[in-house]
Amino acid sequence: MENSLGSRSTYKLEFQGNGKDFFGIVIVNWFLTIITLGIYYPWAKAKQLQFLYGATALDGDTFSFHGTGKEMFKGFVKAILLFVVLYGLLFLFLYLKFPLVGLLLFYLGFLAILPLAIHGSYRYRMSRTSWRGIRFGYRGDRKELTVNFFKWIFFTVITFGIYGSWMSINLRKYLLGNVRFGNIEFDYDGDGGDYFVLNLKGYFLTVFTLGIYIFWWQKDLFEYYIDNLSLNKDGKEIALNSTVEGGDFLKLGVVNLLIIIFTLGLGYAWVVTRTLKYLFDNVELDGNIDLNSIQQTEENFKDATGEDISDFLDLDFVM
Amino acid sequence: MKERVIGIFYDGESSVSHEVALNFDKEKCIFSFETIHNKTYSWELAAVIFNEKGSVLQLQHGNDPIQSLKIEDVQFMDDLTIFRNKNGHTGWYQRLLNLGIKIHLGFALFIFGFIGLCYVYIIPWVAEKSVVLIPAVYDDALGNTFFEQNTFLGTVDARKTKALNLFANELELRNTKKLKFTVIDSDIMNAFALPDGSIVVYTGIIDSMKDYEELAGLISHEVAHINHRHSMKMLCRNLSGYLFISTILGDANGVMAILGENVNTLQSLSFSREFEHEADVEGFEIVTSNGVNPKGMSVLFKRLQKENLVEMPEFLSSHPVTANRIQYIDKMIKTEYFQSKENPKLQSLFQQIK
Repeated sequence: MENSLGSRSTYKLEFQGNGKDFFGIVIVNWFLTIITLGIYYPWAKAKQLQFLYGATALDGDTFSFHGTGKEMFKGFVKAILLFVVLYGLLFLFLYLKFPLVGLLLFYLGFLAILPLAIHGSYRYRMSRTSWRGIRFGYRGDRKELTVNFFKWIFFTVITFGIYGSWMSINLRKYLLGNVRFGNIEFDYDGDGGDYFVLNLKGYFLTVFTLGIYIFWWQKDLFEYYIDNLSLNKDGKEIALNSTVEGGDFLKLGVVNLLIIIFTLGLGYAWVVTRTLKYLFDNVELDGNIDLNSIQQTEENFKDATGEDISDFLDLDFVM
Repeated sequence: MKERVIGIFYDGESSVSHEVALNFDKEKCIFSFETIHNKTYSWELAAVIFNEKGSVLQLQHGNDPIQSLKIEDVQFMDDLTIFRNKNGHTGWYQRLLNLGIKIHLGFALFIFGFIGLCYVYIIPWVAEKSVVLIPAVYDDALGNTFFEQNTFLGTVDARKTKALNLFANELELRNTKKLKFTVIDSDIMNAFALPDGSIVVYTGIIDSMKDYEELAGLISHEVAHINHRHSMKMLCRNLSGYLFISTILGDANGVMAILGENVNTLQSLSFSREFEHEADVEGFEIVTSNGVNPKGMSVLFKRLQKENLVEMPEFLSSHPVTANRIQYIDKMIKTEYFQSKENPKLQSLFQQIK
């Protein structure tokens, strides 16, 4: 069964979680977080991620998230300290009657934290995720990412935001291009120009159709993300292909909205699970990499500070 | 209980699957198995992480490497679950999850109750108390922005403004900041206080007054708003309520956020009533401590209620004169001890303002 050179096969990605189980997790987590006045939050987050990863299966085997509440709690404390320092500086300068200097430092500080948080959360998430015992990993270089990040921000500012599309794609390319799954490498092959056109088209058509096109725009974005992603190993590859439809997104969105409204928000768990189910059911993988031949190559990384900062800042683009 | 089962083992070094025969020793609580390469493993039950999805159970062991074993034998899985439950090998978190959806809905009710309590009582209370931390200069800034952004539907009457300031000077108003009175020529039956110490009174309301005691009552009420920093408190309450709601609904969608915002506006209306009451009580005290008869307040309120106030923008903190407020003032007039005597100076200034 190994070394099936050249023969192509398909791989099945699916989300097996059901709303009722997830509802239990969400409610118990909220409950514990409230009665511990928020201290339980990192553990709650770990439980939730463990559930969601554990409910996602590739070829019948589920992913595992190994991050623990304790790791994330440490990161949580560090992240809080960092924000306390930032806000402390801001208020110090306000107190000293230099509000402009304070605000400038404050925003620069935030900006400087961003690439560090992205880097940190990628390293942490990837290293704590595994499938069949094989860890994911992120091999990006913090310094390189930071320098690039500020370069892209600079271009975005001087082009009045137009470069933003290129920035998004460059960032995605860098981050995903540095993701490893054992000795399988990830590759993202998008182009800032295409992405810009896609968004421009999406924006105007959404305006012209009084918002209805937004679901087709969403479909295009998802497709652009998935279709440009591939996995490579020793000259073999797995290609990803999205089969989502705008009409389905419309249906999904409307039903989700109705669920939220008529259950007073309690249906949130079902909204999440049915959305994930739809998305994973509509990603096709095919190629010639033998999933039985992946080697463990990535190391453990247990510092969750970046993960927690990203959480505070609501940066939610870790895959 | 079945003690032997076939499983798929992943050794954490490669993704190659190994079929193994797994033994479970009930006495020692140990899983043991041997691979075809004659490597033996034994895992203690307490060190194994269980992940059950449908008809698949995954046992996970170790940190580096992470090894896992997949079992698809439903009978074995059920037996193992019963065994773990019976022998206290189920973690407390799992036990909470096992309580089932009815209990979970109970938890949800508790959470809703708690959030409601926070929103209605705790958060506004904290926000209000935290106003102490905001330097008084911000009140001035708030007042200034308001002045710059609004026209007051009329022109300033310089002569009456001067007289009103003299009138206020005659009273001890317990004010912590410098007060600045302005009379604006307009039919509007209202007056309002800005956080920076500015008090605007319309000629409409002054013209309706019959006695200087009414004006003293009005001024005292407005000054009490400023003394208690009501504008700042209201701003903080509204902002905190908004922040709280958007935090709670953070990961829900936009419609929920809009719903939340509307809930918040409804809430803020009743806040202002509480502040009105506070200002009435302090206004009453200011009036009586100046030897002015508080009946003027009551008379004024009754007339305002009859006139049915002109609608004012929310920020102006319109003073809804409710039957409740009038009752309360009348009650204070009866029960509180006070002495009052005619004040000719105030009387003559009042005539100038009229």
